[in-house]
Amino acid sequence: MTQTPAPGDRVRVERADRTYEGVLLPSSTERQLVIKLEGGYNVGIDREPATLEVLETDVYDVETAQAEDSASEVEFDDSLPTISLISTGGTIASTVDYRTGAVTAQFDAEDVLRAVPDLAGRANYRGRVVANILSENMEPSIWQDLARAVAEEIEAGADGVVVMHGTDTMQYSASALAFMLETPVPIVFTGSQRSADRPSSDNVMNAVSAVEAAKSDCAEVLVCMHATESDTTCALHCGTRVRKNHTSRRDAFETVGAQPLGTVDYDDEAVTFHGEYRERGAADLAVTDGLEEDVELLKFTPGMDPAFLDVVEGSAGLIIEGTGLGHVHTDLIPKIESLIHDGTTVVMTSQCLEGRVCDRVYDTGRDLLEAGVIEGEDMLPGTAKVKLMWALANADDTEEAIRTSLAGEIQERSVPWTAGR
Amino acid sequence: MTAAYDYEALGLVAGLEIHQQLDTATKLFCNCPTTLREPEEATHQFTRYLHPTRSELGELDDAAVEESKVEREFTYLAYDTTCLVEADDEPPHRLDEEALETVLEIAQLMDMTPVDQANVMRKIVVDGSNTSGFQRSTLVATGGAIETSDGPVSIEDMMLEEESAQRVEETDAGVTYSLDRLGIPLVEIGTGPDIRSPEQAQEAAERIGMLLRSTGKVKRGLGTIRQDVNVSIAEGARVEIKGVQSLDDIADIVRTEVGRQAELVEIQDELEARDGAVHEPRDVTGVFEGTDSGVIAGALNDGGSVFGVRLEGFDGLVGREIAPDRRLGTELSDHAKRHGAGGIFHTDELPAYGVTDDEVSSLREAVDASPDDAVAIVAADSAVASSAIEAVAERAKTALDGVPEETRGANQDGTTRYLRPLPGAARMYPETDVPPVEPDPSDVAVPELLTEKVDRYQADFDLDAGLAEQVAYGRRMPLFESAVEDGIDPTFAATTLESTLTELRRDDVPVENLTRGHLEQVFGMADGGDLAREGVPDLLSALAAEPDRDAATVAEEAGLGSAAEDDVREAVIEVVERNESQVEAEGMAAFSGLMGECMGALRGKADGDLVSQILREEIQKRA
Repeated sequence: MTQTPAPGDRVRVERADRTYEGVLLPSSTERQLVIKLEGGYNVGIDREPATLEVLETDVYDVETAQAEDSASEVEFDDSLPTISLISTGGTIASTVDYRTGAVTAQFDAEDVLRAVPDLAGRANYRGRVVANILSENMEPSIWQDLARAVAEEIEAGADGVVVMHGTDTMQYSASALAFMLETPVPIVFTGSQRSADRPSSDNVMNAVSAVEAAKSDCAEVLVCMHATESDTTCALHCGTRVRKNHTSRRDAFETVGAQPLGTVDYDDEAVTFHGEYRERGAADLAVTDGLEEDVELLKFTPGMDPAFLDVVEGSAGLIIEGTGLGHVHTDLIPKIESLIHDGTTVVMTSQCLEGRVCDRVYDTGRDLLEAGVIEGEDMLPGTAKVKLMWALANADDTEEAIRTSLAGEIQERSVPWTAGR
Repeated sequence: MTAAYDYEALGLVAGLEIHQQLDTATKLFCNCPTTLREPEEATHQFTRYLHPTRSELGELDDAAVEESKVEREFTYLAYDTTCLVEADDEPPHRLDEEALETVLEIAQLMDMTPVDQANVMRKIVVDGSNTSGFQRSTLVATGGAIETSDGPVSIEDMMLEEESAQRVEETDAGVTYSLDRLGIPLVEIGTGPDIRSPEQAQEAAERIGMLLRSTGKVKRGLGTIRQDVNVSIAEGARVEIKGVQSLDDIADIVRTEVGRQAELVEIQDELEARDGAVHEPRDVTGVFEGTDSGVIAGALNDGGSVFGVRLEGFDGLVGREIAPDRRLGTELSDHAKRHGAGGIFHTDELPAYGVTDDEVSSLREAVDASPDDAVAIVAADSAVASSAIEAVAERAKTALDGVPEETRGANQDGTTRYLRPLPGAARMYPETDVPPVEPDPSDVAVPELLTEKVDRYQADFDLDAGLAEQVAYGRRMPLFESAVEDGIDPTFAATTLESTLTELRRDDVPVENLTRGHLEQVFGMADGGDLAREGVPDLLSALAAEPDRDAATVAEEAGLGSAAEDDVREAVIEVVERNESQVEAEGMAAFSGLMGECMGALRGKADGDLVSQILREEIQKRA
């Protein structure tokens, strides 16, 4: 046989005195063939000086191998609440892409149900795909799509919404929805830190716990992720106070400046809240989804080139992530003053992350206030950016909106030992 | 059954899989040391669940599915020597280069060809022994051979993989594993199906073990090498026997497995002659109301059930011995246990265990069994009993076809027990977190074989044959070689490492506490004349008792003659005089710089306090 071998064909490769037989994989390159041997091992074989023979074509359909033939048949149960599962992509709904070898999102919400059979019997599910992206590719326009989709699901009768989201930017999307939506039902973001293609993935417990939280009485935007390294408890974080604080751990997400609002016990599936929250049905559904996208977040560090401030000239808003209580190099203050004079709203936050900005303690701070900088209180810098985008588009008085807690993003009292929002 | 078998006539085919831990500085995919710990030393623990996933070709592995039917919580013990990688809370680092070099050396010893590009794979294992739910494994080389006295045995493939976590404890709630072992590099060597006798299997395993130890880079001691044996006879089936701990057991394991398969083939023939069949299991709880059997009554009192299955034509066969003290009934029972039941009862052994003659008759009646039939029953929680009896019926059906292909575990007594179905290719998919590597064998030296070392030690060092072999095959061989290289007398080094340590061990001295560092220090002291050779055993005993202490200090305390004060003073004066101008200029400020030089000159043979005291005196004299 002399036909050109294609991925999925069973082939025999002879190279020097060795013979390899197996299925040709799509990860082969121009230089090397990659073959799955009988025992399941993949090996790379240099094309030169190997000879290749096709034994059998299309042994596997490698393109669709991951997809299953049968659609999941979920029966409707009147006694169960209806939960809407919204997928935006990310690790929780991802699988390995065998062309690039990387982990990518390929599943829609239906697939999530198939991938996490443990979800069955907890609720009637509505599935919906808003995006299929890695969360680092998130855009403010998708926050708007997401907010509208969530609102439609609630209007259609969802008793709770679970948003499956990549973990990298989950905190920004959660904040965006917290500002854009008045919700009568829980909106729970979840994802997984360890990819769904590993048996140890945290996706099963996070998804199950998120559904339980979405059935609860807490009509807030929450983030539901592992509370510890163990598969025992998920924490429920207020969407505007949560931050991803580790690159890879399951318990990467933490509530900053407070304790998590609640927990879900994986063993008995009990959802417990430790602080005040808005109850189910207390608010009527409302969507305010305008966003001013021309807002930047700038982290000040020693040696920063002042030219960075030229870049934001003419922007609608600027969040500065200052040092300590909320400071930048004194030499930058005149430039900031001129930005504000030209109409840019400038909000100071702190790279300490924990604690409240206070620009009345040192001269630099007082000069910044004098220049017109707004103190961002104890808001997380990322949350402040999303809030400023929203406030510039929707609030009558931007400065007042920034100073006021709209969705738990500012705490009036600094009591980090209590459960937050 | 005890009769000797004609292995050639039976068509015995056996192969080996040898797993050997490598003695590298760090683990295969992180920079943690490869140190084993005691569970009591754990600094923290965490718990996890595992869920099987599909391969990249969309298949689920039978073995993984069966394993995951039992939902279990796994507890992991972590240490100050383990990190987030073992905890599956951080992606793996790149493949350890030292481990790759070592397996390339082994590949050369077995005349194997490295692959052009080694791809790290994930092999699904959901029994909890890997926190990730898979074992990372890489095919590194293929196509070699080793010699045995019955002819060559081909080596099909060699894998570099990560060792699994050590099982510490198993309870009803789940299993506890220790993370210290997880990630230690492990080489897996698979022979071709070329082995034709139990003796050849053992010889091949010994030969591979010798080749591995020749690298001087493999771990030694209990559990650091494990053998799996694949056995089949012509009319039987391929059975993979896992976890043979000792080389000496290999021949026995093969003999016993041949016997088991031959017996199962005879049972198959008998069942064929009797027109045997396995019927649908039935609920037979009613038969045992008010029973005197403790086991059955216990299950029923807890609200459980008894299920029975009619095994048509099986009378007398279920109780037939197929391996020492193991019957076909034991095999059925192994399957019931996998599904959570305590075991089975069958009519070949009843009445017994409190089950009466009348109950046996009623049982036969309840499942329409004739006297030529056997009946197996399971008493347990209703759901468990129902799934366990199905498993028993499945296994009984395979008896009609002879020997089932499966993975079995080695028992202490040379017999085996059912573990799970044979794993397939479906359990393998690429580890995308680790880029493929291209092994470069050109820089890899071929290590000297232990057999060659024995000859060289005799020729070059004048060791007698027995001592040469003891040293070469002993676990302290690398230390011996480096000591001789440092100028230590070979006979003295060899005698100390083998005879002296053996004698001390017999005297209950905890010689396992002696590190390479201890022994090197002792050699250095003896070589430098600071320790009489006669003092070596006493010093080693003292060090073994207090392994945290320094050899020179211990020797001095024990009066074993560390460097005398005069010798120390002589060395110190030499250093001070050499640095005369500095001492005059700086006075006592020169102390710390010269202290290091003095200790270096004394090569650690003198007590630091003594050196410090003398150095101060000598500086003061000149300042």
